Amino acid sequence: MGSLRMTLQTQLVLRALLEDPAKERYGLELCELAGLPSGTIYPILARLEHVGWVESTWEDPALHEGAGRPRRRFYRIAEDGAEHARDALARAYRGRKQPLPGWAARPINGGGVS
Amino acid sequence: MRARRRLAPRPNKRRCALPSLEGLLAVVRMHHPHADTSLIQHAHDEAAVWHAGQTRRSGDPFLTHCLAVAAIVADLGMPPPVICAAVLHDIDDTPCPAGRVTEHFGQEIADLIAAVRAARIGAIPLTALHLHTARPPTLQPTREEAVLAIRLADRLHNMRTIAFVAPARRYLVARETRDVIAPLARAAGLADVSRELHDLSSAALQPASTPSAVTTRMLAMLTLLLPTRQRARWREEWHAELAALPTRRTRTRFTLRVLLSTPRLSWTLRRAAFRERRW
Repeated sequence: MGSLRMTLQTQLVLRALLEDPAKERYGLELCELAGLPSGTIYPILARLEHVGWVESTWEDPALHEGAGRPRRRFYRIAEDGAEHARDALARAYRGRKQPLPGWAARPINGGGVS
Repeated sequence: MRARRRLAPRPNKRRCALPSLEGLLAVVRMHHPHADTSLIQHAHDEAAVWHAGQTRRSGDPFLTHCLAVAAIVADLGMPPPVICAAVLHDIDDTPCPAGRVTEHFGQEIADLIAAVRAARIGAIPLTALHLHTARPPTLQPTREEAVLAIRLADRLHNMRTIAFVAPARRYLVARETRDVIAPLARAAGLADVSRELHDLSSAALQPASTPSAVTTRMLAMLTLLLPTRQRARWREEWHAELAALPTRRTRTRFTLRVLLSTPRLSWTLRRAAFRERRW
């Protein structure tokens, strides 16, 4: 199990994967969940896969052949990757001066709008 | 042609009313003002009974197809017996007992329906055909002309509703229509029918929603930046993602973003491979 630099995008991808750790998701679906532009997620997934936090498999032929489309690559948080990912996210969160959008309650008076 | 478009509307334009008996009779009266339409009404009632409960892939009642085909045939100037055969051209696919059509509509119409079903459309000799729309009402069509008119009308209506057919079958039907049927219609003197068949089949053969060769090839080329052993996997993965995107714009955007992120992916993969080798 290796370590990796927790960029903002990496954190968003991990958060998306941890939302439902048992569920397998394909790249475009993860992009949407993480709020990242389509097509930018693959280097992050490759890195997460390399350190062993994420595992990927090809889609079951029964599913894609039935739907008449090419098979998808599915990603899921690895069994022992979830703990590492949560730890890393917590460390990154503590280390941040400003919370990620949606992670903390917004100010009641909507501060920042002038 | 203009009259046919108005009276035998394309069902995929949902605003238009579905083909009806009234619409069909209006076309018949336009071409044969003094014709006895009771036989056509009888054919309609018979088709309505036997096709009851059957639907087209579009979800419309199957009877709408019979009426649309008959309206096209009527608009080609065919006389009432041929129009009856058009209404009943798929009756053999129903539980209708053999002999019932002969009993109700006579041997001539029953034989014509059988000939329509049996005919190999490419084998019909074109030399004796005079299927132009301005045919005089008194001129009786030959058996070959009647068969060809019904088969062409059947194909024309099927092509108008081809959007509801599964892609593999749609491709086969559209290719045959473009390469065989549309030229045949032109040779038979039906330029309007031929043009519409050609337009519909060409549109079905070049759907706008599949990834273009350019984006697919571009993604395949991008994988050349990746380590050799990884190329096939990413090419396949991106190909599947591309197929899931609905519009050309989203596919282009996806391809450009993959283009921008590929150097980083390449670096990640190469570094990982290097570390594995070192350990």
